[in-house]
Amino acid sequence: MFDKGPTREATTRRTLLLTGAAGLATAALVSPTRANEERTDLAEEPVALVKRLTGKTPTESERMHLAMPRSFSNGYSVPLALAIDSAMTESDHVRSVRVIAPRNPLIEVATFHFVPQRSQPRVSTRIRLAEPQYVLAVAEMNDDTLLLAKAWVEVATNGCE
Amino acid sequence: MSRPVPRVLVPSEATKGELLEVKAIISHQMETGLRKDADGKVIPRKIINKFVCRYNGVDVFVVDLHEAVAANPFFQFYLRASESGRLDFIWQEDGGGVYALAQQLSVT
Repeated sequence: MFDKGPTREATTRRTLLLTGAAGLATAALVSPTRANEERTDLAEEPVALVKRLTGKTPTESERMHLAMPRSFSNGYSVPLALAIDSAMTESDHVRSVRVIAPRNPLIEVATFHFVPQRSQPRVSTRIRLAEPQYVLAVAEMNDDTLLLAKAWVEVATNGCE
Repeated sequence: MSRPVPRVLVPSEATKGELLEVKAIISHQMETGLRKDADGKVIPRKIINKFVCRYNGVDVFVVDLHEAVAANPFFQFYLRASESGRLDFIWQEDGGGVYALAQQLSVT
C-alpha cells in the first residue's frame, strides 16, 4: 500500500506535468502576488523540496507522528493528526510545524506554532488534497534543526476545485 | 455567505499542570481563489488566514492557515493549565474580518 505513490507517479507524470504547467500559467495571470507557492516539480523528493523552501536539510525522525488515512473518499476534508515527542522545555521544544501538500495547486496547508510549557506539539485538523500524494510535516525545533514526517494519502476526488 | 460562527469546547475548570484538550471550529467557506463562477470569473480568495489562542494575554497556540485547510476549519489542540484566567480565541479573515470568543478558566 505504502509504495503505491512512486508507481502512480511514474505512470501519470507526463499528464500531470502538462496540467501542472497550464495551472501555473493560469494562476500567475490571475494572482501575481499570491504568497503560497504553486504545485512543485513532481520529481522533487520531500527532503529536496523542504531544503529548497527553507534552506535547511530536514531529517526524517521517529519523534514525528503524522497520522492520515491511507485512502479517503473525498479530497475536501481529509483528517490529519500530528504529534511530536518533546518535553516542551525552554531548552528543548518544538517551535512550529509546517504542513505541505506538494501536489496541491498551492502547496502550503498550515503552520502551527507552539510555546514551551504552554502548549503541546499535538494537533488535529482537516485538509484539502487535490490528488493522491505524500503529505509532509516539517517541525522546526528550538535549535533550528528540522524534522520531517510524510504520509501517503489516496484521495478519490479533487478537493481543491 | 452567512456570517461565520465560531465555537470552542474547553473545560472551565482544571488542576494546575493538567493538559487541557481544546476544540475550536468556525463555520467558513474557506474560498480558495481557485474556483470560477458560472460566467468563468474567478471567485476571489476569502479564507480564515490566522487562528490565535491566548491565555491571559499570551499567545499559546497560533495557526497560519492557507487555502488547503478544509472548509469550516477545525483544530483540536492541547494547553497546559498554569493559572486561572481568560482564554481568548481569535480568527482573522482575508479583508480584515475578525471573529472572537472568550472563556474563563479556573485552575486549582
